[in-house]
Amino acid sequence: MAEAGTVLYYIVTLFAASIRMAVPLTLAGLGESFSERSGVLNIGLEGIMLSGAFFSFMAAYITQSIIVGVIFGCFGGLLISMIHAYMSFKCYVDQVIVGIALNFFSLGLTSFLFMAYFGRTTTVPQCPVVKPIRIPLLSDIPIVGDVLFNQDIFVYFMIFACFVSYIILYKTVWGTNIDAIGEHPKAADTVGLNVKKTRYITAIINGCLGGLGGAYLTLALLGFFMENITSGKGFIALVVVILGRRHPFGVLFAALLVGAAEALQYRLQTLGSGLPSQVFIMLPYVVTVIVLLFSIGKSSDPAALGISYKRSSR
Amino acid sequence: MPNLQLKDIFKEFPGVIANDNVSLTVEKGEIHALLGENGAGKTTLMNILYGIYTKDVGTIIWKDEEVSFKSPRDAIESGIGMVHQHFMLVPTLSVAQNITLGIKDKGYPFNNRKKVVKDITELSKKYGLQVDPTQLISKLSVGARQRVEILKSLYRNAELLILDEPTAVLTPQETDNFFEILKKLKKEGHSVIIITHRIPEVIKITDKVTILKDGKNVATVKTSETNENELSNYMIGRSLKTFSSREEVIESEDNGLVLEHVGLNKKLKTLTDISFQVKKGEIFGIAGVDGNGQKELAEVIAGIRKPDSGTILIAGKNMNRASFKTRKKAGLAYITDDRHHEGLVLDMNVTENMILKDYDQEPFSKKSIINYNVVREKTEQRIKDYDIKTPGVKTPIRLLSGGNQQKVIIARELAVGPSVVLACQPTRGLDIGATEFVRQILINKRNEGLSILLISADLEEIVSICDRIAVIFEGRIVGIVKNGADLDLNKIGLMMAGHIGETVNS
Amino acid sequence: MKYTKELVSTLIIILITFLLAAVLIIVAKYDPGMALQSFFYGIFGSLHGFAEIMVRATPLILAGLGVSVAFSTGFFNIGAEGQLYMGAIAITFVGVFLPPMPPMLHIAVAILAGFLLGGIWAVIPGFLKAKYGVSEIITTIMFNYIAINIVGVLVRTVLKNTESALPYSPVMPKSLSFPLLLYPTRLHGGLILALACAVLIYIIMKKTTIGYELRVVGFNKRAGTCSGISVYKNIVLASLISGGLAGLAGVSEIAGVHHRLLEGISPGYGYIAIIVALMGRNHPVGVIISAIGLSALQVGANSMQRQAGIPTSITSVLMGVIVLLALGKNIMFSGILKKMRIK
Repeated sequence: MAEAGTVLYYIVTLFAASIRMAVPLTLAGLGESFSERSGVLNIGLEGIMLSGAFFSFMAAYITQSIIVGVIFGCFGGLLISMIHAYMSFKCYVDQVIVGIALNFFSLGLTSFLFMAYFGRTTTVPQCPVVKPIRIPLLSDIPIVGDVLFNQDIFVYFMIFACFVSYIILYKTVWGTNIDAIGEHPKAADTVGLNVKKTRYITAIINGCLGGLGGAYLTLALLGFFMENITSGKGFIALVVVILGRRHPFGVLFAALLVGAAEALQYRLQTLGSGLPSQVFIMLPYVVTVIVLLFSIGKSSDPAALGISYKRSSR
Repeated sequence: MPNLQLKDIFKEFPGVIANDNVSLTVEKGEIHALLGENGAGKTTLMNILYGIYTKDVGTIIWKDEEVSFKSPRDAIESGIGMVHQHFMLVPTLSVAQNITLGIKDKGYPFNNRKKVVKDITELSKKYGLQVDPTQLISKLSVGARQRVEILKSLYRNAELLILDEPTAVLTPQETDNFFEILKKLKKEGHSVIIITHRIPEVIKITDKVTILKDGKNVATVKTSETNENELSNYMIGRSLKTFSSREEVIESEDNGLVLEHVGLNKKLKTLTDISFQVKKGEIFGIAGVDGNGQKELAEVIAGIRKPDSGTILIAGKNMNRASFKTRKKAGLAYITDDRHHEGLVLDMNVTENMILKDYDQEPFSKKSIINYNVVREKTEQRIKDYDIKTPGVKTPIRLLSGGNQQKVIIARELAVGPSVVLACQPTRGLDIGATEFVRQILINKRNEGLSILLISADLEEIVSICDRIAVIFEGRIVGIVKNGADLDLNKIGLMMAGHIGETVNS
Repeated sequence: MKYTKELVSTLIIILITFLLAAVLIIVAKYDPGMALQSFFYGIFGSLHGFAEIMVRATPLILAGLGVSVAFSTGFFNIGAEGQLYMGAIAITFVGVFLPPMPPMLHIAVAILAGFLLGGIWAVIPGFLKAKYGVSEIITTIMFNYIAINIVGVLVRTVLKNTESALPYSPVMPKSLSFPLLLYPTRLHGGLILALACAVLIYIIMKKTTIGYELRVVGFNKRAGTCSGISVYKNIVLASLISGGLAGLAGVSEIAGVHHRLLEGISPGYGYIAIIVALMGRNHPVGVIISAIGLSALQVGANSMQRQAGIPTSITSVLMGVIVLLALGKNIMFSGILKKMRIK
């Protein structure tokens, strides 16, 4: 009996950890879903998250305020996504290449500024982290309640953001407009929808949510920053978007799946199996590739994905 | 008082003057044809009116006010609607979503499906434009999509409708139905501008014609006071060339191209039980409305897709499992319908495009090494033979005109001595000069004894040069008729709409 | 006139890059004069500096060629980093597990093994892309992380040097070393391998039917299909060549610089190779030039770090900006160029 209870508790805590691991992926994935539905492929998501993580950390470290950290996290993400938008919509540079270049830019900028500010130190600078918020009643449910309804504000925001995104994309004219622009921008243009403006708006959403996703790493999961802290999470979020078919709850589900692999990875590392830790660190990346294989042939991309719209092209 | 006046519109694109002081006047309740060849500047003029392009010089007066629309939205809000040649519909959205796209209706920003569906149903009844508002666009036929486009404009209270080549994709019966709709629109007080190069239609339906040539006004005449010959003279400066259909076909056992019971994708019935023979010295035409399996048929014959059932013989050899290259060696030439995406590599130059099908053959290459000296010589020769206008052999093919691009394709395909030519929409988008050039080459090749399969949605083209005509509908051959003076066009029209006809073998 | 425009654009890019670097350095409160001096001293100050540039350019040329072949074929190979590590693993296996061989043969076997293992690491994403349309951008990135961790596992297990506590492989036998070209600097025979590969790739891409097919597929897959050119075959082939060349970069780093496998042998060469290919416009000569240029940038930055304490990550910022400016220059600078009356 006690044995079974321990196993159950173990599973539930693992699930709770999976949820936390899923937060950055879901938030970034939601933003990218908006962007891709409107026809903009932003491979620079990694850079967006990294920038969000860095600026949120710096702001929270300097002001000791999490709220300021969150705001600067959004700002950091926006910085990268706006450059992407400008380069793609205004200069008509290939969106994928802009994304690749921005990942470089973001990686360099964040680690340069971090090193410049802190120098070579032996102690890791820490920033404040968010505290869990206990939801009354629900959190009193034995075992499950404590882990599922005693989470931090980002987790609740993630659920909220999924619902709001769902309503916008599926229940409003805005969602229809975004889909029309991603599928047939010229048709949308001829009925007077502003293709560029809409894509800028989805780029703003993408930057903010991606920046928040990055901020979650520093302001909730870790409490510190280091070079390349995202280590590929932005790319994993891109896979989450594909597997979730750009549907908010699909993205959430896919993020939970990859999040579980990550949570499991940390557990296995601490278990002390005698294997090098790299065996486990690999796990989320391997799972991501496998997940990608499962989505073969299932998702159909918006027809204009990755192609910037030019009106007077003849 | 005219409803719409365009005065001295001038528009220059890099290197080409698209509209050179063009003027146009349209009255209320008038159907006005804008007649001209491809490249005469008709669509550009209308795109300027509709706010897609901005004019360099000129005035537009719409309902007594000078206007200058900066975007289609401005035009729509002023009561002007345009149906483009390539429909501007989002295939993944429903009819209702497409019709209301961009409109801020009651309840904005939330969807208001019920009201929208009701409104559309009412509107479609009023004008006899039948559609199911809940259906996805991707599931609709071409005719239905056109009705959606017209509804889209009417839903936005369009008083003036601009229709760009509206009948290009319709069967003769659908066209008649479409003319009925136009008459209704006229009766309700709408003005209509039809952009077209089809003279018979102009005569049949319009009140007035404005003819453009090389971006300039040629004439404006009342339809009742003109005739086909005069319009043709205005449009191209001479009467249209008529091709004589040849009376006799060389009887031969050895047919160039034979299809026996070919089927593709049993579930979707993309192609079902297709059988015909293209004899030597014959142009065999496949007529039909676009999207009835023509493309798939061409790809099955070329070996780009593999059929599920049936047999394909080229020069007597079974080609069912053969790749494109094997078929090519057996004598097949393939002129695709999509120059830019399939026939050419736009980022490569003329020379490189000239060897696209033969780069791995001698004398162009030996043991994988391409001999660019030989390639250049041959290219120069073909440029001369086919009168291809290009600044040089190393010019990016992107910079050539459509007609010259098509000539490159035809030179490439026909220069190596094929026995069977598969020509898919070979004149689509070309001006009349280039079109006649291409048709003449096909006729010459027939006279040399080649087997030619011409797939075309342009019935006029099929009738003017084919010896026999098959009609394809929903992936089936519904009938094969012999071309000649006694050809019943009405019957072909019915077949294009799916009515079963007869089959003749010679 | 066209060349004037190119020249002015390039000058503007260089100017903006320098300004940005100055801003970053000043904002971070480093000494800009010292930075500038050490930057140029690092590059031009000594024979050693020149040799270092060539040493770093070697893997960049190899991996950059690989990326350029992939890009020319429309295969966005972002995985050169992982493929480089796979090549490094291959040569280490050859050194540790195969019996001793004469030097030439030994190196040849290692090169072949490195090419193949690097190639395989790219062919898997290539196959998935060609057969199922799986995004190669994501798979190749994931394969980078996986490859790096595989190195981590190997140097702690099967390839570990048992005589040391550190995660290193044993030192490679002498027969698996490239000769030094300019003693006492580190300049090694890998550079010759890289230049030879550039010549070979030039011939393949521009003069043979193989290259013709690859380029057709890169420009227009549909036109390829309609001309009987197999998109599938060519993408797999491009990924093999691409990964193989990146694998050779790994071989060269072990045989020429490190002489044993350890973590972190590449300071992001595989990623910089992407920039190399982009800046070199997928042309072998362009690749060589941009590889040397970016390598000089890094050597200069290293010198700035040593003497002025400026973090080398400034190079990533600058490389990102240079690519963006280079790609967007026609539109970004159109206003400036117009004012200067340059058409």
